[in-house]
Amino acid sequence: MAEKKLDILVILRECSDPRPPVRLMAKGAGIRDRGLRCLTNPADLEALEHALELRDAGVARVTAVAVGPKSLEDSLRLALAMGAERAIRVWNGVLAGGDAVAGAHLWQRVYAILRPDLVLTGNRLLDGGSDPAPALAAARQDLGCVSAALSLLVKDQEVEILRKGDRGSRQKIVAQLPCAILCEAGFKEPRYPALEAVVTATTQALETWGLEDLSLPEWEVGALGAALDQGEFATPRPDPLRSTTPDPSLPAFERILALLSGGIQPREGKMHFLPPDEVVESLMEIFQSEGLLPEAKT
Amino acid sequence: MMFEYLFSPIKLGQVELKNRISFQPHLTNFAEHCMPSERHMYYWGERAKGGAGLIITEEMSVHPTDTAYEKLVEAFHPEVIPGFRKITDYVHQYDAKIFCQLNHNGQQCDGSISRLPVWAPSPMPDVLFRETPKEMEPEDIEEVCRYFAKSAVHVREGGFDGVELQFGHSSLARQFLSPLTNFRSDEFGGSLENRMRAPLMFIEAVRKAVGKDFTLGIRLCADEMIPGGLDLGQIQEIGARFEASGLIDFMDLSIATFYNLYLVEGSMHTPLGYTIPLAAGMREKIKLPVFCTGRINDPVMAEKVLANGQSDMVGMCRALICDPFLPKKAFEGRLEDIRYCVGDNQGCIGRMGINRTLGCIQNPAVGLEKEWGEGTLKPAPVKKKVMVVGGGPAGLWAAKMAGRRGHQVDLHDRNENLGGQVLTAMKGAGRDEFGVIIRNEKDQVDKAGVRVHLQSRLTPEEILKANPDVVVVATGSQPKSHPVGGADGPAVFNVWQVLDGKPELGDKVCLIDYDGHHRASATAERLADLGKTVHIITSSLFVGAELGPTQDLYLTRQRLLQKGVTFTPDIAVMEVGGEAGQKEIKGFNVYSNQWQTWGPFDSIVLAMGQQVDADLYFALKGKVKELYRIGDCVAPRKVDMAIWEGHKTGRSI
Ligand SMILES: Cc1cc2nc3c(=O)[nH]c(=O)nc-3n(C[C@H](O)[C@H](O)[C@H](O)COP(=O)(O)OP(=O)(O)OC[C@H]3O[C@@H](n4cnc5c(N)ncnc54)[C@H](O)[C@@H]3O)c2cc1C
Ligand SMILES: Cc1cc2nc3c(=O)[nH]c(=O)nc-3n(C[C@H](O)[C@H](O)[C@H](O)COP(=O)(O)O)c2cc1C
Ligand code: SF4
Repeated sequence: MAEKKLDILVILRECSDPRPPVRLMAKGAGIRDRGLRCLTNPADLEALEHALELRDAGVARVTAVAVGPKSLEDSLRLALAMGAERAIRVWNGVLAGGDAVAGAHLWQRVYAILRPDLVLTGNRLLDGGSDPAPALAAARQDLGCVSAALSLLVKDQEVEILRKGDRGSRQKIVAQLPCAILCEAGFKEPRYPALEAVVTATTQALETWGLEDLSLPEWEVGALGAALDQGEFATPRPDPLRSTTPDPSLPAFERILALLSGGIQPREGKMHFLPPDEVVESLMEIFQSEGLLPEAKT
Repeated sequence: MMFEYLFSPIKLGQVELKNRISFQPHLTNFAEHCMPSERHMYYWGERAKGGAGLIITEEMSVHPTDTAYEKLVEAFHPEVIPGFRKITDYVHQYDAKIFCQLNHNGQQCDGSISRLPVWAPSPMPDVLFRETPKEMEPEDIEEVCRYFAKSAVHVREGGFDGVELQFGHSSLARQFLSPLTNFRSDEFGGSLENRMRAPLMFIEAVRKAVGKDFTLGIRLCADEMIPGGLDLGQIQEIGARFEASGLIDFMDLSIATFYNLYLVEGSMHTPLGYTIPLAAGMREKIKLPVFCTGRINDPVMAEKVLANGQSDMVGMCRALICDPFLPKKAFEGRLEDIRYCVGDNQGCIGRMGINRTLGCIQNPAVGLEKEWGEGTLKPAPVKKKVMVVGGGPAGLWAAKMAGRRGHQVDLHDRNENLGGQVLTAMKGAGRDEFGVIIRNEKDQVDKAGVRVHLQSRLTPEEILKANPDVVVVATGSQPKSHPVGGADGPAVFNVWQVLDGKPELGDKVCLIDYDGHHRASATAERLADLGKTVHIITSSLFVGAELGPTQDLYLTRQRLLQKGVTFTPDIAVMEVGGEAGQKEIKGFNVYSNQWQTWGPFDSIVLAMGQQVDADLYFALKGKVKELYRIGDCVAPRKVDMAIWEGHKTGRSI
């Protein structure tokens, strides 16, 4: 049966590797990006693996898309080596500095151009960030979106998704195609590409799209299209830890004594001369009577 | 980085500071003819060089009636501007910001300096100055506003980054705020709103004069700590209202008044960081950056205060008087190189308060930064073989400085440990921190390449045989061997023996105090702590006669009385008699000349003075190429002079 193959769009993102220590900017406000180690977001690779399994079953074609500077080509070539049919890198300098809103705008346009049956990407970024843009774009494009997917099963025009719920619970959801699915990390081992495929991928053509390919005006994307202003980095202002502020209702003399004692109330010590076993007993009693230990269970 | 919060930037108004350390305002008496001086410039410059993010100058006077001290800079004269510019330019080269503190001290002033009446909200004399002020007329208040504004313009024109108005422990503004000093019935007294009126007028006048973009803050007294005065709860409300005015950019804090000045610069008998609870209390209510100051003398504690959210800035006053380079050393993680302030208060407030120039017992370069500051020590042109005898403070400093100049230095002490008398002094009740003076130096002596020989008691012959080029004799002093008749009798001991824990003392002890300082009082307290019944007899007007300038008098007397110690002043002790258990003191009242006998006591402790230990010096005199005699072995004095002489000698060898 010559069924129409599913078009799957896999979004690949880069994130910083949280393992090597990061270096701070001179004034300590922000992370220095020079020398920062980046890698393809592992959850995105797992999403790719889901897509490739469908491709292997002969029911899908996979397109990997990444937005970003040339360094992202590494991620895209990895996707090609793993088996993706097509790889597209979207970039233009003005795209820098965007936020979720600007990103959603851009992804919506990508969805609109490629018209995928399924959008797959990771649920979270490894470095702790969440990137809501793919989901927001799905909403704008009127696609369903399912997050925290562990596995998926495509049947006709539907996809059945097993979701991760609260406290280890699982939830099965059926979504209509086309839709977007955000895959959880740690549930699927992305395949290890064959050396030959890696070598081939290094010379394979990558498509590069600029703003004109998206026909988006400059002011709708990147820093100009962002709804949020980037605030200044500042050291957090911790909430004050309550300390033993002298009770204002006390007379001044007592307040001074309270300050001078540093909140410590001296008490008389007691000597206990007992055999070792009884020392333990009496210590336990003291700790309990002082509220340092819970009452003994009988 | 070790101190994430401490070295994070912060904005006060439009000014960004590179870190959270503020060198807090304090008088220096370095002014010349009430004008800013070169000495100021080098003094503040040294702290900027040392890495403080912010420097707040000493309080400067805004009005001729404000004469709390003879050497206040009079910021209301436009002639201050050139001096200000020199200071601010110098400080700015080190990437530090500098604010100027402006103040009118109100009733806390001395009219005999200005020969003008003292001005205050109400005709209520201050407890320290005891001068009945003139109740300010509304026109006077307006005049002060104008003068505040005028002075603030001079500050801005002088190149400062901001201005701080002193509304704290010693200020006209606090006197308006506090029901303790404001009894007015017009629109400047009564309700809180009325009491805040004049201080708000000062702020408004200054804000108008300096413009919106100039950083302006106040230093508020967080708790007057006196019955009938303002407490933290009321100050929170006052602070919130000042904040709500939208006219200020930060809130620096101080504590107390002149009734309890000992809380303003708490000595070592006050816990470290004693004002943290108050700063934290203010921070709960105030969104502006809040400062915390008071015995925060080390970066670890400073970091914790910030990380706990108890303040946004850490004020360090004495910590940086003592070691201007504390911030830099902390930044570089060299904590062992920091010279920690010990809170003895002798060199700083103890000198400044009695109209001498500011100093520090541990930092002879205070006020002499141009001559003795960082980078002024020159390598010795001729390397000499230097022998220092005596490892007390004098010997330690002499050895360290000589070693740094490149001499070959050997330091000998007959004891097992370096430190001399300080090791005994630190055994007095609550005096442990005094020992930090020695701990601060030990590493430095090693780093200066000095060879230390302990338990080494050299005879003059041995020294001559070693043939040194220079001998520095720093052999210190001993308690007087026979200060009074009967001192050699049974059950009579001196302070050293008692603090070193040697003698068995009975329960009833009499301490003869001819010292007036901690030597006597901390020993008495130690005995009381051991459960003894202590009676102090002194020739002075009162027990603790020398403890006033260091702000130790009040709390020392309080603690002694709480511990049941009896005081007998005005007595010249002439004889100690009787057997152990039946000891008697005979003496006469210095005013009435009446003789009296006290007793019976189990034991007697004498704090009746020191004598030099200079035998070695006289044995070597005329026999070595260069011979110096420094510290207590010249004349028994205190640590400040021992270090001063050690430093000076070490530099000049
Ligand atoms: C109980 C007490 C409390 C005090 N409280 C204070 C205070 O609060 N504030 C203050 O400023 N001052 C105080 N002092 C005084 C202060 O400690 C001294 O003024 C200071 O230590 C003097 O320093 P120095 O180096 O000249 O002599 P010392 O500290 O006396 O040191 C002399 C050193 O020389 C060694 N020595 C002597 N002869 C020889 C020899 N022949 N060979 C080898 N080594 C030798 C000794 O062992 C000693 O270590 C107090 C003193 C005492 C005893
Ligand atoms: C010698 C000296 C003079 C001071 N003068 C002032 C002053 O003029 N204005 C002021 O607001 N605080 C003054 N203070 C108080 C200090 O700013 C600071 O609050 C106090 O010393 C406690 O901080 P510290 O423990 O870090 O030294 C002075 C302190 C000292 C030691
Ligand atoms: S004199 Fe003492 S209290 Fe004052 S700054 Fe120096 S070490 Fe600190």
